Amino acid sequence: MEVLIQNIINALQWGSFYALIALGYTLVYGVLLLINFAHGDIFMVGAYIAFFLVIFMLGNIGLDPGITLALAVPLTMILTSGVGVTLERIAYRPLRRKGAHRLYVVITALMCGLILENGNLALLGASRKRFPELLETTVYRFGDVSVTNLKIIVILAAILVFFFLQFVVTRTKIGMAMRGISYDKFAIPLMGIPVDTVIVFTFILGSGFAGLAGLLFAMSYPVLEPYMGALIGWKAFIAAVVGGIGDIRGAFVGGFLLGFIEIGVVAIFPSTMRDLFAFSILLLILWAKPTGLFGLARHQKI
Amino acid sequence: MNPLLEIDNLRVKYGNIEALHGVSFTVEDGEIVTLIGANGAGKSTTLMSIARLPPPEAPKVISGDIRHKGVSLLNMAPDKVVANLHMALVPEGRHIFGNLTVEENLKLATYARKGDSVPDIQRDYDQVYALFPRLAERRRQQSESLSGGEQQMLAVGRALMSKCSIIMLDEPSMGLAPALMYDMFRTLKQLNEEGMTILLVEQNANLALKFAHRGYVLDTGEIVAQGTSQELMADPEVKKAYLGA
Repeated sequence: MEVLIQNIINALQWGSFYALIALGYTLVYGVLLLINFAHGDIFMVGAYIAFFLVIFMLGNIGLDPGITLALAVPLTMILTSGVGVTLERIAYRPLRRKGAHRLYVVITALMCGLILENGNLALLGASRKRFPELLETTVYRFGDVSVTNLKIIVILAAILVFFFLQFVVTRTKIGMAMRGISYDKFAIPLMGIPVDTVIVFTFILGSGFAGLAGLLFAMSYPVLEPYMGALIGWKAFIAAVVGGIGDIRGAFVGGFLLGFIEIGVVAIFPSTMRDLFAFSILLLILWAKPTGLFGLARHQKI
Repeated sequence: MNPLLEIDNLRVKYGNIEALHGVSFTVEDGEIVTLIGANGAGKSTTLMSIARLPPPEAPKVISGDIRHKGVSLLNMAPDKVVANLHMALVPEGRHIFGNLTVEENLKLATYARKGDSVPDIQRDYDQVYALFPRLAERRRQQSESLSGGEQQMLAVGRALMSKCSIIMLDEPSMGLAPALMYDMFRTLKQLNEEGMTILLVEQNANLALKFAHRGYVLDTGEIVAQGTSQELMADPEVKKAYLGA
């Protein structure tokens, strides 16, 4: 029983990371029908931005770790959104303006991801960075089950982000425009809404939360390297697809599902089988429901 | 005095094909003007050019000008045409947001009205729901589930919510049962009597000329006849080609 609860907590923590990254894939896809393959690397850049911010605030300014964390959260999110918006501006928008086929934009996204990885490698070298400790670890024990404060923060962050996004897309005009654009891009400017504003807003949300995930991930697993976003990015993307890409609930359900499957596999089988089993199960889900759990086959009324 | 809307020798390309070869016409404040013509004559292309919709979906201007109160709008973004000039396009096929509710569709159209007070906007909701009671009944319904006629009402309702003073309608009668079609035109007439300027594109020339003050006949990208509705209805050529008489 204790082992089970322990595993559930770990699954929730990993699911939270996947969900926070998956939502970026799903939001951009919902608005642009673009799979932004650079998104995993934006997560990586987010972790590095957090690293440099924290080093600067702790070392150069000498701030208290608690204050550093409180400042690092918004600053990392803002700066990482800047990275996402920049990519949109210099890589995706010019292609969109020229009416390029979506395939070329997806390839561009793949290249942007590789540029971010290799740019990081060239700039900072291959040595790994050690993320400093910001939060004194408190372990809460309930019988044999132990939870750290950091795990609770990660899980709470994912849940809060989910409700925040639900609020944005159902209650605000810009959020409604994000939903509307996925149904009919043509009509958005006819409503007096600049399409680019909706797209930029979408990148701000997706990249900002990837930055948050990067910071929380670096705090949880404090070793940073340029390729840290690649595999987790792929996994989050697959989670978004399994949940139903384009749907925010899908990103979260897919992310947590992947977390549970991975931890579940490791609980029973050797850990080397984790990814093989996890992806095989996801393949079966897609086999049964190709549009993902929340996905709808789109049809339009004439 | 400059006309409210002036299309001056407009030539546009759609892909590699020139779709309009120098079209000129004007719309005065408070008028109902109709563009009639066969399928493919360039009527929708004209409206999309005025709405400044960007390529690749929309036509590209080669030469000529489109002026609003004497000021060219060729370099204006499509959302600014709605937000600043208060010209709304109700496109062919309606293009409602089927995944949003009726109310959300209307709310989206108020996006650019940042300076307007809540009571002002509320008054417009009330006006739209009074004009189209069916929309009021279905306000929380997913708009995909509306009938064709209700979707057309929603498309017009959205244009009104954007606070337009010029409404451009592309084939509003398409796919509507006759009774609904007459209802729609009665409502549009009422809006015009309250001051709305209307530019109407229609294949149903009989209906359009009965409704409009003036008309232009468009044939393969050129204006071939123009005049008041009475004049056009009496013109033997127009009668033969478009009115089935």
